[in-house]
Amino acid sequence: MNIRKLKDAFAGRLMLAAALFSSLIVLLMAIILYLRSRPILEVKTLNDLLLGSIWMPFQGKFGFYPFIMGTLYVTLLAMVIAVPLSILSSIYLAEYAHENVRTKVLPVIDLLAGIPPVVYGVWGVLAVVPAISYIAPVIGNLGIPFLTVKGYSTGYSLLAGGIVLAIMVFPIIISISEQVLRAVPFDIKEASLSLGATRWQTIKHAVIRIAYPGIAAAIILGFSRAIGETMAVLMVVGNVPNIPSSVFDSAYPLTALIANNYGEMMSIPLYDSALLLAALILMLVILFFTVAARLILIRIERSMAYG
Amino acid sequence: MKSHISIQDVNAFYGDHQALRNITVEIPQKQVTAIIGPSGCGKSTLLKCLNRLIDLTDGASVSGKIIVDGINVLNGSIDVTDVRRKMGLLPQKPNPLPMSIYDNIAYGPKLHGKPGKKEMDEIVEKYLKISGLWEEVKDRLKSPANKLSIGQQQRLCLARGLAVEPDIILCDEPTSALDPVSSQHIEQQLLKLKTNYTIVIVTHNIHQAMRLADYVIHLYLGELVEHGHANEVFENPKEERTRAYINGTFSIDLKIDSEANLKGKMCPFNFVYAKQALHNLEDGKILKIIVDDPTAVTEVPRGMEADGHKVLIVKEINKTDWEIVIQK
Repeated sequence: MNIRKLKDAFAGRLMLAAALFSSLIVLLMAIILYLRSRPILEVKTLNDLLLGSIWMPFQGKFGFYPFIMGTLYVTLLAMVIAVPLSILSSIYLAEYAHENVRTKVLPVIDLLAGIPPVVYGVWGVLAVVPAISYIAPVIGNLGIPFLTVKGYSTGYSLLAGGIVLAIMVFPIIISISEQVLRAVPFDIKEASLSLGATRWQTIKHAVIRIAYPGIAAAIILGFSRAIGETMAVLMVVGNVPNIPSSVFDSAYPLTALIANNYGEMMSIPLYDSALLLAALILMLVILFFTVAARLILIRIERSMAYG
Repeated sequence: MKSHISIQDVNAFYGDHQALRNITVEIPQKQVTAIIGPSGCGKSTLLKCLNRLIDLTDGASVSGKIIVDGINVLNGSIDVTDVRRKMGLLPQKPNPLPMSIYDNIAYGPKLHGKPGKKEMDEIVEKYLKISGLWEEVKDRLKSPANKLSIGQQQRLCLARGLAVEPDIILCDEPTSALDPVSSQHIEQQLLKLKTNYTIVIVTHNIHQAMRLADYVIHLYLGELVEHGHANEVFENPKEERTRAYINGTFSIDLKIDSEANLKGKMCPFNFVYAKQALHNLEDGKILKIIVDDPTAVTEVPRGMEADGHKVLIVKEINKTDWEIVIQK
């Protein structure tokens, strides 16, 4: 009897410790990143670092602006491609597809989530990049904003990164949205259909209304995955530190900057500190977007409950 | 009696299970038709066939004809939204859409055309008044529908169904989730509505059927046992099974000669035990058994009838238990 109680108390404590440990790690990482990036923060102003666009470590110029924009653009582009496609496919799978189709397609989509990023990267280099360099001159001369080509495009571009990332976040958004849509009570569909609504009207006006917060959460998860992705992106995005003005331009996201340079040329003064500051900025950007998304989600849920 | 819905030789299957067997019956216009029978007898299935909501059930198939206004509802090539629009549905459990009271009523009319703001206001007011909800909600039309009480929600569902201007109202045990006062309210509304609508109500509450129905259809294990005018069926049923069902629900002193509690016994053991208990009785004596296995509810009576015994009552006593009364 006593041993049982002891085990119970011990198990409770152990799990508390585990939970504390994993949340403390986040804090610990932030603190260490801050301490290690302090040397550069003491020499340069935050303004210079965040808004400066010249990256010349040999001359002591560390402008992070192109990298921050690179990260944001490539993630945004990926979401623009991924969100409509994956939501439409999840609606199809949840509402239209026959049981047989659903049970065969969903595991394949889940499989997509298990493929290592480097494989996506290689596939991007072999398939996406050449395709883009092939279509770039055609589309680039049409003069559509954000779709212009200056000179010529190698294919290693924002668009390549966006496409590869989009494919990587598909499975996350699809499988969560599909579950959310299928959890919508049958009563609601029955109510709408019995009023003479078509299937699409029912989905558009009734089902989506209920599934909205869940789908938003799926998109947030996909976004977090996309913004932190490193390997696949750095293989296809070109890694040129400029601010992209077209999807056919190269970009250089923060993740790629850190992965490409950390551990090399460490003799350059402040270089190590600058890279760790990049990591800190990345962490803060992700934190900012995650918190903002959560807040929006809470507001949506509240307005749904009352309206 | 003018017929509105003509059901001809309808069979319905859920996979291998046959839920309806050769149902042929006419449903009269602008009257209340009650479909009665024990749970699991196919009442709701028949209702779902009328508005084709049965299409949504995986593995369900229906054959036969259901003619409404000259159109065969079961014909695969007709526009099913037109059929459903003709038949307002009042569900077992109120199912307000996740929007305001106003938008719930406006939902249907919006689907079928775009009335202007003023026109829509009039539609909402008209149907909330018909369903007797207007006075209670007129000051808070923009508040969410799921904040209403269950009884109010059910009247909202009634108003929402009426707003698409159907000719027929289908009710699937519309008061089973409601308190007595709300139930009475709904019943009163239905009685008022029958001057303009054909009403079909599925109920396992015999009292309710007696209060509301002009015409009665008695289903039992997927078969049509009896149908006719309410006073004939209730006062002088032609079929023994109808009499037993009506009496059983009333619990008029049926003399039970033996009882067996077969809870916790699975099929087919409960059937075997029931047969054993029956074996010990003389002909004509009555055995009551209690089962909690859902398959037993349909299979034991069917088996007993196949053996030549008479099943008098199949009744749900509570959430899990069923009472089956058999005469040897």
